[in-house]
Amino acid sequence: MSRLAPVVIDNGTGFTKMGFAGNNDPSFIQPTVIATNPTTSNQSSNLAAKRGAEDLDFYIGDEAVANSKTYALNYPIRHGQIDNWDHMERYWEQSIFKYLRCEPEDHSFLLTEPPLNPPENRENTAEIMFESFNVQGLYIAVQAVLALAASWTSSKVSEQTLTGTVIDSGDGVTHVIPVAEGYVIGSSIKSVPIAGRDLTSFVQNLLRERGENMIPAEDSMTVAQRIKEQYSYVCPDIVKEFQKYEQEGDRYFKTYEGVHSVTGQPYTVDVGFERFLAPEIFFNPEIASSDYLTPLPEVVDTVVQTSPIDVRRGLYKNIVLSGGSTMFENFGKRLQRDIKRIADTRLRRSEVLSGGRMQSTPMEVNVISHKKQRYAVWFGGSLLASTGEFHSYCHTKAEYDEVGPSIARHNRVFGTVG
Amino acid sequence: MPAYHSAFNELSDLRSVGGMALLPIKTRVRGPAPIADASAEDIVDEALNLFRANVLFRNFEIKGDADRVLIYLILFITECLGKLARNPSLREAEKVLGTLALGNFAIPGDATFPLNALYSPPASKMDADLLRQYLSQLRQEMAIRLPNRIYENDKPGKWWMCFQKRKFMNKTL
Amino acid sequence: MIILEYSNRIIEDTLNARFNPENKPKPIEMSFVDFDGVSYHLSTLEGQDTKLLLSIRWKCWPELVSYGANDVLQREYGPWITSPESGYDFSLQFDLENLGADPEELIKKVGLLKRNAMAAPYERAFDAQAMAEKEENWDPSSSQLMAVHYRDGEAVYIQHQQDRVTVIFSTLFKEETDRIFAKVFFHEFAEVRKKSIFSHCPQVLYSNREPPLEIRYVPGLLDSESQGYVTFVLFPRNYIPGAVREETISRIQIYRDYLHYHLKCSKAYMHSRMRARVSEFLKVLNRAKPEDNSGEKKLASGRTFRRS
Repeated sequence: MSRLAPVVIDNGTGFTKMGFAGNNDPSFIQPTVIATNPTTSNQSSNLAAKRGAEDLDFYIGDEAVANSKTYALNYPIRHGQIDNWDHMERYWEQSIFKYLRCEPEDHSFLLTEPPLNPPENRENTAEIMFESFNVQGLYIAVQAVLALAASWTSSKVSEQTLTGTVIDSGDGVTHVIPVAEGYVIGSSIKSVPIAGRDLTSFVQNLLRERGENMIPAEDSMTVAQRIKEQYSYVCPDIVKEFQKYEQEGDRYFKTYEGVHSVTGQPYTVDVGFERFLAPEIFFNPEIASSDYLTPLPEVVDTVVQTSPIDVRRGLYKNIVLSGGSTMFENFGKRLQRDIKRIADTRLRRSEVLSGGRMQSTPMEVNVISHKKQRYAVWFGGSLLASTGEFHSYCHTKAEYDEVGPSIARHNRVFGTVG
Repeated sequence: MPAYHSAFNELSDLRSVGGMALLPIKTRVRGPAPIADASAEDIVDEALNLFRANVLFRNFEIKGDADRVLIYLILFITECLGKLARNPSLREAEKVLGTLALGNFAIPGDATFPLNALYSPPASKMDADLLRQYLSQLRQEMAIRLPNRIYENDKPGKWWMCFQKRKFMNKTL
Repeated sequence: MIILEYSNRIIEDTLNARFNPENKPKPIEMSFVDFDGVSYHLSTLEGQDTKLLLSIRWKCWPELVSYGANDVLQREYGPWITSPESGYDFSLQFDLENLGADPEELIKKVGLLKRNAMAAPYERAFDAQAMAEKEENWDPSSSQLMAVHYRDGEAVYIQHQQDRVTVIFSTLFKEETDRIFAKVFFHEFAEVRKKSIFSHCPQVLYSNREPPLEIRYVPGLLDSESQGYVTFVLFPRNYIPGAVREETISRIQIYRDYLHYHLKCSKAYMHSRMRARVSEFLKVLNRAKPEDNSGEKKLASGRTFRRS
């Protein structure tokens, strides 16, 4: 049998992206949630009391959400790491057999892991993949590294390098991860407690404050999310933006049309400043929260500055965006401008401090946006897994049987214990 | 990019009292402020322009005496918007705001003034009077300009009113 | 989910999205798989975003064609069939501007492409059996053994007799554990049939290593411990033409994947139990830790307690 396309699954805290290598987009994108039957699932100590096929009575993804009235929802991944292995194993089970419809014995699998994933988790994953599913081969890649690889499709990228800073912003949390030659610099990773969900609730707040009372209360979250996704963009300067709205209102104010989910009544919502204010909270967190105040560009700068000195230029030069919450129009432009400003100020200061004796070359700051940004991690995985060498990077079933789960601690691309 | 500052911080040859610069205003209201060039933007215009951006912020670093005037005006706008919450007509609004502007108000140094930590009390009784007159002038001028700027169809515009609950620097007058 | 779905979800989802007139036509290029090494390729024609081409590749395709797959496919997909894309065995083409009377029905049918191709040998066997039943002097040697080698090392053999159709799966287990689990399964299959409510079900036989009589003469059968044979004996009541027959075909064509799915589920279930046990044992162990005796113990009176 000719080799079948490897399976690429990116299990994120909020959403799981899965599909086959070589494609541009994942075949399925659905919430990482599993709905189990509450009458049987709670008695974990009583597992032996099973009489029928209760363990097969569950739904995942969108179907889980649709069945949330009669089933109990569980989120097997927390903060990027797998939290409940029983649920995760069954989540994979249905992902593979119901959605992807492939015999795991015939395929290699590429899975992803968050930065700083403890090796024990990787071992557990390997154990499930090899022992439950008998997968042909397994490769576990770090999400940030895949995001870097995904950016190679952008025309702005001149060389294919695995050095850069990855800004990964999904639904739950935003990470800034420096990567040097494919190694994650773990000590410098910073996370920002602002991500898609916070933007949505900020929009929801603005709508409420303005008294948009046409929105049915139970839909307010979804409406806020849609408005965020459809209309938001990043502006260069909020004061000027307010003025534009005042002078050319027709061009900037939008109307959102919705349909009441229960009664089916159509309604409209005016969309205004939230268009540029929502993404603004990345750059000015204090407008939405009172306890977190550091703007994203500053976080990026700190991350680069705490990394080893010889990679800093590389990190500034290749700042790569990944995840849905980085998709706002002009997000990259604004980020680049703000980081550049911070870096330039620092250079100028050091020149002044040296009394003009030192001249440094200007810092090159590049923020790279590209078309595959939304599912960058998955897409990077798809790219990697479709290369000819991929099969030689994989740990095979035979090797697993020989060595055991600890094989997952070893990464063959880099050739060291990682 | 933190909150916006007043462009008038750059002017250095101005007298200031209680930490607030005596800035020129385009106004017919009588008071101690110098008369500004009718074609240029003055501090009241600036406060109106920056209001919607700055009111979102909770932190503000004061960079000059003009900033203190700006803060005062922004807080005053918030107070004005509060008075317009019941959608009065333009005529009524002017009346209501006019009364508010002339009504009793606290100046830096008074016990009821909320921002005493940031402002210095006037040095003498004379300075205090000057300050009161200056603030009164600013308030009256704002009370005139604000409704004209924000009214649409004889109602306060919702794109302004949506900011009435926000508290700049977590303070109210 | 106890029984696997028969249709391919990726096809259904993609076509649903594409056939929806609200979505603007845009180029698609995707390749994906189905069970048993089936590869699909879904694309839009060069420069024509409204023309979708779906192609399938399967290594046993020539065998299926020789058992009449083309007739079945012609019946199901008639107007949509187009000449196969190079590198693939069979192609369907859809024009978004002309989707026929019932696009939803079409999507459902297309999702079953693999199932329908696989249905051919079964249909042929069922029909042949019906013919044979009417003949008085039926010659057993006229019955053709249809073999479909749908995977490497695994095949399905279908043969009709005068009163029944026999379906034999040769199964190959790569894993020792899987084989043991499978044994329990087969045992259960046989056991459960003894209950009276299941008496109408087809008989299931399992043999390890030893091929059943019907196919013993077939050359090239692997003689190994990991090889097993599952035999289904279907009687006409199991394939009354109409819904029953369609359901029977659907179920039996996915039987191997169904089996492997359940093997994996059982292992997952075992793992859950092991994890639960381990955490219980850990609790016991933690309780068994010796208490810290270094601190002095006070009596109620406040004096220090000493063991003499």
